[in-house]
Amino acid sequence: MEAFLYGIGLQFKMDIRSRSLLVTCYLVPLLFFAVMGGIFTSIMPDSGDTLIQSMTVMGVSMGALIGVPPSLAEIYGTDVRKMYQANGAPLWCGLITLTVSAFIHLLIMSGIILAVAPVMFHAEVPAGLPFHFMKLSAFIIASLGIAGMLGMLEKNQAKLTMLCQVAFLPSILLSGIMFPSSLLPGFLEKLGKVFPAAWGYVLLSNKGAGIGEILPLGIIFGGAALVCAVLLRRMSGSYGTWR
Amino acid sequence: MKYAIQVSNLRKSYGSKEVLKGINLQVKKGEIFGILGVNGAGKTTTLECIEGFRRYDSGEIRVDGKIGIQLQSASLPAYIKAGEAVRLFAKWNHAEPDPARLSALGIPELEKKRYMGLSTGQKRRLHLALALTGNPAVIFLDEPTAGLDVEGRISLHKEIFRLKKQGRTIIMASHDMSEVENLCGRIAILNGGKIAFCGTTEELAAKLGRHYDIRVITELGEDAYCVEDIREELTKILEKYRKKEMNILDLKVNRGTLEQHFIRLAKGV
Repeated sequence: MEAFLYGIGLQFKMDIRSRSLLVTCYLVPLLFFAVMGGIFTSIMPDSGDTLIQSMTVMGVSMGALIGVPPSLAEIYGTDVRKMYQANGAPLWCGLITLTVSAFIHLLIMSGIILAVAPVMFHAEVPAGLPFHFMKLSAFIIASLGIAGMLGMLEKNQAKLTMLCQVAFLPSILLSGIMFPSSLLPGFLEKLGKVFPAAWGYVLLSNKGAGIGEILPLGIIFGGAALVCAVLLRRMSGSYGTWR
Repeated sequence: MKYAIQVSNLRKSYGSKEVLKGINLQVKKGEIFGILGVNGAGKTTTLECIEGFRRYDSGEIRVDGKIGIQLQSASLPAYIKAGEAVRLFAKWNHAEPDPARLSALGIPELEKKRYMGLSTGQKRRLHLALALTGNPAVIFLDEPTAGLDVEGRISLHKEIFRLKKQGRTIIMASHDMSEVENLCGRIAILNGGKIAFCGTTEELAAKLGRHYDIRVITELGEDAYCVEDIREELTKILEKYRKKEMNILDLKVNRGTLEQHFIRLAKGV
């Protein structure tokens, strides 16, 4: 347990040192928030009601789907994995420590949006903040599940970048944060529901906060976690039992 | 148990290609044992099977004691610092980092350096330090000095001798005959997934003494011969040229070096 906690703390520090994760988890989402927040609230004053939710969904999706998979591929697609195994660290530790660390970073980034948006753009603060953070946590966890799956599926960084974009772009465009998803053709609206962003936006916007929104996020996370478990098992299967 | 490692009839195939064809070897406790072979001979596969890193098809492997592994190709996250890596793997091994050993490997001076900023030699030293964090009795080193400069090699050789003095068993793979000659008490030479030679370097040298390289230079070019009985074979060779009425311009006879002998064994010549 001590090694696991040290690993999480260490991963958190390494994420801060890594400029790429800082860019995808903080810089770009917060810049997007600063620019688009101003545009949204100036052309659509009503958008301030859901600005925090929409920018949070955008930021979390970007940080998770674009930022996390390359870091995972750096471990599982290279000799780092063998190094971890050879020196007594279990195969799952890279996935879990990186996911927990990313969860904390994404929570901090979401907290910054929550704190700044009312001051900068007179955005409405969601009612019941503890409950908001619980829903936010569920959304981040589901998004990180997909991120984990992507990072472990593809070892080639160039192909992985494309795969991440393929997941991220429809996730955002079909989530309803840019325009109401009800305006989309039926099949695109349904396609959007495959990604956590659509459910996360509904959940955070208080348009729904019941089992109907939590359950899909749970199913998405469960499916992704299952794929990750299978991939980890396959990786360990290529080698013998360790120690 | 007299032996730290016992391998019996180890077999391993990749698809239809059999890369290990019944390896048998024993490594005594406290010795430095070298596994040699040309690229593709099966050195790394043999080591990885013994280390538990790779499944094998059949055979038996027994390792007595905790193991530490320095991989041939290894890496760490780019942004981890050397000191952090040591502490992380010490925690996973439920061990405390040994300051004396870390100092001997020059790790304290790398403490604050990020992995991506380390030189090849510094990385090798760090990898060895990590392999030793669990205080292993048996240490596997796969091409430990590959890519190191002369100073780095000497420093690492000293550390390997220090580990031997502490009573640890070291098994190392290499294709550098001089390195193995310096470090290893006994060696196994792999050729095509089989052990072509197993014994001490002295035994190999004795075997080498029976081989001679003969080079005959004529007007048509150079011919090379490798013979055991120099008296008989040289007479036959000279007779051959006399019968063909060819002028011999130059004749060179050399006792093969240990390295040449290794190449002959490793390539099955």
